[in-house]
Order: sequence, then C-alpha cells, then structure tokens
Amino acid sequence: MEHPFITARDVDVFYGDKQALFGIDLDIQAKEVTALIGPSGCGKSTFLRAINRMNDLIPICRMTGQLEIGGQDIHAPAVDVVALRAQVGMVFQKPNPFPKSIFENVAYGLRIHKMTSNKTELADRVEWSLKSAGLWDEVADRLDEPGNGLSGGQQQRLCIARTIAVQPKVILMDEPCSALDPIATAVIEELIDGLRKDYTIVIVTHSMQQAARISQKTAFFHLGKLIEVGDTETVFTNPTQEQTQNYITGRIG
Amino acid sequence: MSNEHIVAGFDQDLAKIKAQVLSMGEAVNQQIQKATEALANFDAEAVDLLITTDRRINGMHKDIHSRAESLIARRQPMALDLRQALAPVNIAGELERIGDHAKSTAKRSRKLVDGPSGVAAMDIIAEMSTLTQSMLRQVLSAYDNVDIDLAAEIRDRDQKVDKLNKALFKLALDAIATAPDKAEAFIHTILLARTFERVGDHVVNIARHVHQIATGEDLKASE
Repeated sequence: MEHPFITARDVDVFYGDKQALFGIDLDIQAKEVTALIGPSGCGKSTFLRAINRMNDLIPICRMTGQLEIGGQDIHAPAVDVVALRAQVGMVFQKPNPFPKSIFENVAYGLRIHKMTSNKTELADRVEWSLKSAGLWDEVADRLDEPGNGLSGGQQQRLCIARTIAVQPKVILMDEPCSALDPIATAVIEELIDGLRKDYTIVIVTHSMQQAARISQKTAFFHLGKLIEVGDTETVFTNPTQEQTQNYITGRIG
Repeated sequence: MSNEHIVAGFDQDLAKIKAQVLSMGEAVNQQIQKATEALANFDAEAVDLLITTDRRINGMHKDIHSRAESLIARRQPMALDLRQALAPVNIAGELERIGDHAKSTAKRSRKLVDGPSGVAAMDIIAEMSTLTQSMLRQVLSAYDNVDIDLAAEIRDRDQKVDKLNKALFKLALDAIATAPDKAEAFIHTILLARTFERVGDHVVNIARHVHQIATGEDLKASE
C-alpha cells in the first residue's frame, strides 16, 4: 500500500450544535479517483469541502480532528487558505463560469496567483488547460466569446480547465455531472479518467453507476459516519457492510 | 437479505425469471427420467417426443437469457442483486446442457434396444440416473431458497456419481475382455455412464452458482 496523499483522522464537523461528521478516518491515494457516495445529508459533501477548507466560509461550521494533504496539516497556522485552494481545486455541481470570456475564465487563476510571466506564457497555459480539459478543439476559434454561452457540458469542462490551469495536486468534484445529459456526462467521465494520471481526484456523486464507472476507491457515508471504504470493484460487487449493500441495491435499510 | 427494495419491480421481475428457471429445471429432470426409462424399455415414440421437448427446453433457456438481459439493462443491479440477476443465465445454461445429455441418452437407447449390456451395468446406470435426478431436485430447492448448506451437500453427493462411473468403467472393461463380441454395446454403456457423470457435474455447477449468489465467493471443492 502506497502512502496516502490525503489522510483524515478522527474528523468531526459541526454546523452550530448539529454534528455532521463523526470521527472520519479516511486515506485517499494519490492519482486515483475516490468516489464518496451516500444518501443526501450523509456528510459526503461536507467531507469534500473540508479537504480544501471550503467549510471555513460557513460561519457556524467548525471542524476537529486532523486533515493532511501531502503530509501537511491543512489547518496549520502557516497554511495560506488561498494557496491551499489553488492546490486543491474544486468543480461544482452546476457549471459556474465567470461572466468573462472563455480565455479569461481560464486565465483568471493564473493571473491572481501570478503564475505566468508574460502574455505568451499565459496564452500557452490557457491553451494547455483547455486541451487538458478536452475543450480546445471546440473553442479555439472563439476564445473571446463569453464562457456562459457554451453548452452545459462545455461550461463544466471550462470550469475543469480553470481548475487545472493553476496546476493543483487535488481536484474535488461535487456532483459534476448532475446537471448534464448522458453524452456530456460521458465526455466528463472520460476526461476524469484521463486526469487521474496527473491529479488526485475526489468526487461526490449520487450516481452509483458513475462511481462504479470512474473511481478506483469508493467510500460510503451514512448519517455522518464512514461506513465502508474499499476498492470500487469490491464495494459494488461484494461490500462488507450490510448498510452499504442496502444502499447500493436500493433497499430500505 | 430481509430488506425489500424501494422499487418493487426488480423483485417482481426477478421472481418471474426465477420461476421460469425452476420450471425449466423440472422439465429437464423429467427428460432425464424419461431417457432412463427409454434405456430400460425402448419406446421409439417416447424418444421422438423427448427430442421435441428438448427444443422447447432450449427455447426456455433463450427466454430466460433475454429476460435476465432486459432486467440487467433496465434495473442496472449491483452486488447481491447483480448476482441474482446473472444466476438465471448461468443456471439455465447448465440446465440446457443437462437437457442435451438427456437427449443424447435417449438417442443412444435406439442403439441399445435390449438395454445396456448386462444387468449389473443397467443397475449402475439406473442408480446414477436416480442419484442425479435427486441432486437436481435438491439443487433447484437450494436455488429457490438460497440454501448454501444444501448446495455444499449436493457438491459432496456428486462424489458418489463419480464412483459409480468408475465402477461401471471397470465392469465394462472386464466384460469386453471376456466377451469381445459385445464390445460395442459395452462402449455405449461406458458413454452412457459418462453422460450421467457430466449431468452430476452440471448439477454441482448450479450448486456453485447458488453459493456464489449468497456469498459472492466460489464454493470450494469437496475435501
């Protein structure tokens, strides 16, 4: 077993008095896709948002326990949250391009993080990102058109291009295909499979077929607890926990 | 698994397919019985009817296959459900092969109108037939009730079938040595025993599928 890239130890998350996560211990391997599944309210999105400290934006939300990425405690005083979020990018359920051109959507992060030194380098980086997100061929001749004029699937790939432009180590995805049709979904799934060569990907999905198709590891959450984590093939063919079996087979548990 | 599915349609569709498999199994068992009767008392009409029935059994196999395919495509089952949805395809496949063995036994009876050579040989064949029919009935019950203990018992009972096959082989070899003019009839007898030995193996394969449904794992070979 390789050393995990992300480790969660005894992670509790509270929204005010309400506890949303209970003692989560989870290891996430580098350059694999880990799917988080479970019914609504099970805490999977809360856990996902804990990985890049997005929960910090919710005033009543607090976390205890330890979360490390690449051996670094993400709550250590020296950690710059903005830099952390560049290292741990996020793609949301609904494509959310900025009200800017296609080019500027991808260039935005590069500019604010001052990651390129001249216009040529910036343009090269934007092109590389759009190519990596499988969007370049569809937008190369209209980079100055608004990003939100693209189709839903293209917008989501634009958001992925924007995320990978700043060369994160981890990409978090919160139901990235739930607003897309099956063909656009297939394109994104194929893209995710290609991206895992270079990135550690954690994806929350309500589609168990999607989790089964694209992930190497699957973690099942229920009522704020991690019930089971394992190789995706095992979880979807012969899970060890009855609660997991009940959930994935659509039984009343 | 005591919990019910939220979508009841899966259970209903699966129950229909399972009922078809059980009905196919019953039809196949009757074929073995009739084929064995034809060996003891040759009846040309009964053999023709048995061959026609085998075509109907092949049709049942195709129907089960297509229903299971439709169930998997529409419901996209996972884990235990997937194993339950795949099992009818595998089990019906084994039953179809058993049906073929019954047919070949019936056809061979045409060449042995006086019955298999020698009373002792016929006794062994009859015992193999009775044993495999009993095992087949048991395995259908094990499938119906997802009974893995019964599945393991059936696997062990097959050793008796194998022993009878070996006993008949030895008996036939000795008989050929003493009466070479009856060699052809005894070779047919050896092939008949081999057929029932194969039926036993298919029944054990079904027992393995039952174990696999319940546990997701292979049924180990007998100790």
